[in-house]
Amino acid sequence: MRRPTGLARAAIRFKPASFAGTFLALLMCALIVSACGILLETGLRASVPPVRYANAPVIVAADQYEYVVTGSGEDEEREAVPLPDTARLDAGLAAKAASAPGAAAAVADYTFPVRAATLPGGVLTGHGWGSHLFTGVTVTAGAAPGDGEVVLGRNAAAVGDTVTLETASGRREFRVSGVAGADGPLAWFADGQAATLAGHPGRADAIAVLPAPGTDAAELAASVTAALAGSGVRVHAGDDRGAVEDPGLGYAKETLFGIGGSFGGIAAIVAVFTAAATVALSVSQRAREFALLRAVGATPRQIRRAVAAEALLIAPPAGIAGLLPGLGLAMWWFEQLRDRGAVPAAVQLHISAMPLLIAVAAGLLTALGPGWMAGRRPARTRPGQALADASAERLRPGGARTVLGLAALAGGLALTGVSARSAGDDAAGAALGVVMLFMLAVGLLGPLLARLSAGLFGLPLRGGGPAAGLAAANSRTNARRLASAFTPIVLAMAFASTLVFMHTSENHAAGKQLRAGLTADHVVTNPAGLAADARSEAARTPGVEAVVAVLDTQVLVPIGAGEFTSLRGASVQGITGSGAELAEVQDLDVREGSLDALGGDRIAIDTTLATAAGRGVGDRLPLYLPDGTRASPEIIAVYGRGLGLGTVTMDRASLAGHVTSGFDDALLVRGGPAEPLTALGTVTGAAGYASRPSPDAELGAWTTNTMAAVLGGFAAIAAVNTLVMTVLDRRRELRMLHLVGSTRRQILTMLHWESLLVSLAGVILGSAIAAATLFPMMRGTTGEAPYIPLLTYGSFTAAAIGLALLAVTLPARAVLRRRRSG
Amino acid sequence: MGPSGSGKSTFLQCAAGLDRPSEGSVRLGGTEITGMNENELTELRRRRLGFVFQAFNLLPSLTVEQNVLLPTRLAGQRPDRRRAADVLGKVGLADKARRRPGELSGGQQQRVAVARALIGDPDVIFADEPTGALDTGTAAEVLGLLRNAVDVLGATVVMVTLDPVAAAWADRVLFLADGAFADSLEGGSPARIAARMSAPFRSGVTAGAAA
Repeated sequence: MRRPTGLARAAIRFKPASFAGTFLALLMCALIVSACGILLETGLRASVPPVRYANAPVIVAADQYEYVVTGSGEDEEREAVPLPDTARLDAGLAAKAASAPGAAAAVADYTFPVRAATLPGGVLTGHGWGSHLFTGVTVTAGAAPGDGEVVLGRNAAAVGDTVTLETASGRREFRVSGVAGADGPLAWFADGQAATLAGHPGRADAIAVLPAPGTDAAELAASVTAALAGSGVRVHAGDDRGAVEDPGLGYAKETLFGIGGSFGGIAAIVAVFTAAATVALSVSQRAREFALLRAVGATPRQIRRAVAAEALLIAPPAGIAGLLPGLGLAMWWFEQLRDRGAVPAAVQLHISAMPLLIAVAAGLLTALGPGWMAGRRPARTRPGQALADASAERLRPGGARTVLGLAALAGGLALTGVSARSAGDDAAGAALGVVMLFMLAVGLLGPLLARLSAGLFGLPLRGGGPAAGLAAANSRTNARRLASAFTPIVLAMAFASTLVFMHTSENHAAGKQLRAGLTADHVVTNPAGLAADARSEAARTPGVEAVVAVLDTQVLVPIGAGEFTSLRGASVQGITGSGAELAEVQDLDVREGSLDALGGDRIAIDTTLATAAGRGVGDRLPLYLPDGTRASPEIIAVYGRGLGLGTVTMDRASLAGHVTSGFDDALLVRGGPAEPLTALGTVTGAAGYASRPSPDAELGAWTTNTMAAVLGGFAAIAAVNTLVMTVLDRRRELRMLHLVGSTRRQILTMLHWESLLVSLAGVILGSAIAAATLFPMMRGTTGEAPYIPLLTYGSFTAAAIGLALLAVTLPARAVLRRRRSG
Repeated sequence: MGPSGSGKSTFLQCAAGLDRPSEGSVRLGGTEITGMNENELTELRRRRLGFVFQAFNLLPSLTVEQNVLLPTRLAGQRPDRRRAADVLGKVGLADKARRRPGELSGGQQQRVAVARALIGDPDVIFADEPTGALDTGTAAEVLGLLRNAVDVLGATVVMVTLDPVAAAWADRVLFLADGAFADSLEGGSPARIAARMSAPFRSGVTAGAAA
């Protein structure tokens, strides 16, 4: 190796300010990568310490995931999708587990909601009494429950009392056999009865295995695994047990994985992309220096090395400086998710060195790669040409670059089609992919596009006075410089618009469908769930023409084939009532078939799901019920308002035993007065029900808005950064204009026009990309055009233009002021 | 010399291996340089050539001394600071070694560029309008330094200029027009050179290779 020339160090030490832009870009890159990395790692490693199972070292439970298997042989990939509800296992396995060597006892555990109209609170959590073996609950008065008996918590009732309790199996009276030394709304039933009361006879939520003295958890887990081999159940020990106890953990992991992995991946690409552009800009700005170096005897290799050395000197400190804010972002995001209930409170943010190291390394590679690429240009061109090149920019996009750009454009258009066929999270993922490809196209074709838009938008400027004319000329001749500022603005606009308006469109369409589709006069809801006889009570009310009870849950539907197979969660309304009654309270907008025969294994589905699954009336739709049980009901109708009312409409009875809470969520009532219904729960009109806040939708909105803010904010900072860099680079030109007689005002006006031109062109192209993404996708998910609130869109536009103006005006003022004082 | 657009700078850049002629060949002291690759040309420039341009001759981030030693440094040799001091002394800037180019006047900057051209004991120094941005007095100082390189150090100086006064410092003046040599003059006063410049050139000379 040759002696290092020390040029890089000299350049940075002499003028650290000129590297500030690169530093900031690399810092932001490390910030995004580290924040997403931390969330991703937390998603992968999240666990909750067991509480209920704290003293049961081994827990056996059914697999809570369904798997999508694509490929075969070595390429086989399994994607785990968490089930909407708890999957249960055969309670009979408890006896088998108890017979495993080292096991002292095995208890089938049940947890289910119990309604108790006469007790305070109204809702209890029911368990089998056998669980006292590991929870340590003891009876302080009376005895353990037998059949038809219940043990309640302190102060709930006295031994010997009779209480009326309602479970999934119906309402009946229980004798209080004992009072347990535990607080809270709890109820214990005889083990033999618990499964039936919970609504799933013979099935348990989990089996807790207790060790014989001298057996440790690992040994016990191994022997239980051996004893239960072949039954397909999972044996959990350690913190793993918390996941069985808290089904929210699986979803939390999904959420964190989605943010850290899917979104993080795209954000990281954007960050790397932008930082790379900034590094390239900073190198191209010093083309004259490199040309001079070439003339006085620097080899192309030395130039490349000098550029690489600069990157090596700036990237690590920039990366390290980005870690702290990255950590801050991850912590804030995580806390917010926890506050909003998307992540169980017991989950801790997992911070290890790994994502931090990756963030710094990503920054380093980002600086090195484009630095090397950007260094190739001055290194390769002949010095004579370079000296001439540096003063007059020439627009010479490489052939490969144009071809790649066009390929990215074509890919974006193709993926638009894919996103039109998917829904929900998949659609969001595909949408981001579409935006990414379009952005890549913009990045590659940037100078051409910038030149084009400068020509186009410059036309009206040419006639508008000397400053406007100069601005038009500058923009036309410096397309490359224009492109570097224009790309991040397009990026910010496209990402923010796509993410935010995707959400507003879905909400808007869902709201509209709900308002149009809900024709019931009254909607009865109850936070504790509706009583089993609520429907018949309501039906007895004078004047009531039709009552339908609705249970909201989700099923998983396999979509696509081969490599593109996925499991889509579909919202389900499980109805109690006939198809004719349903038509009285809901207008599902049936497109095909009829609801008349609804019931049993005959279901109706939304048209978007029918399209995605490629099934129609008369076909069978394979799906997984909430607890993972396979079913293949027949489609008898396809309707249009699934987004608002429920993607799948099926018989409530076929969901029984497959959901944890057997209580219906709402009663839809047609006719009669509202007053008598208040005994059953909260009564609202259809309009009030349609406009009630939905926590899921709010969380979704918050998540997308945060993503949009992070990406948009990042791109905005990148745009400002680039604009400031380009204005400072034009110091000489601006001072020259000042010398030849331009007033400060004229120079600033010229810059304002230039900035307006670049931001307007960026906003328009960004909006075009967002539109190209949103229109086909929304047609696929909602069947309508996207809903774009003008105020939101206007504020995006105003922010883009305002920021671009500020980013140009502030440094320009500084440059001109320095001139005056000097 | 010649009018603007006559091909002076192109000739100089081709002759110095900074650019490639589309046709013909360039020989430097018997060495054929036309077929050389970038690395060989760079090597050649380091060892045997020196450069002085009209403007932007120095890296703003390096001190005067570092700028002068730049070719040595790029060649991977140990920077000889005594030699730098020596050369800076010759151009009259011994006391400015630690300054940055931004702190020097235009004439001083050009003298630093001359010092840098001299550091490697070059066979040929190429100067592209070295006095174009200087006033008469300062220009004379720089031209004197270049003249001195020829008389004392035995180097060849190839200088492109528009200024008859600057051209008068040369032993031989070649006139270019439309990309071809039109005329030449041995020695000569500024007045004679200026007269030759303004004389109408033969037109219709085939443009092309020249040497």
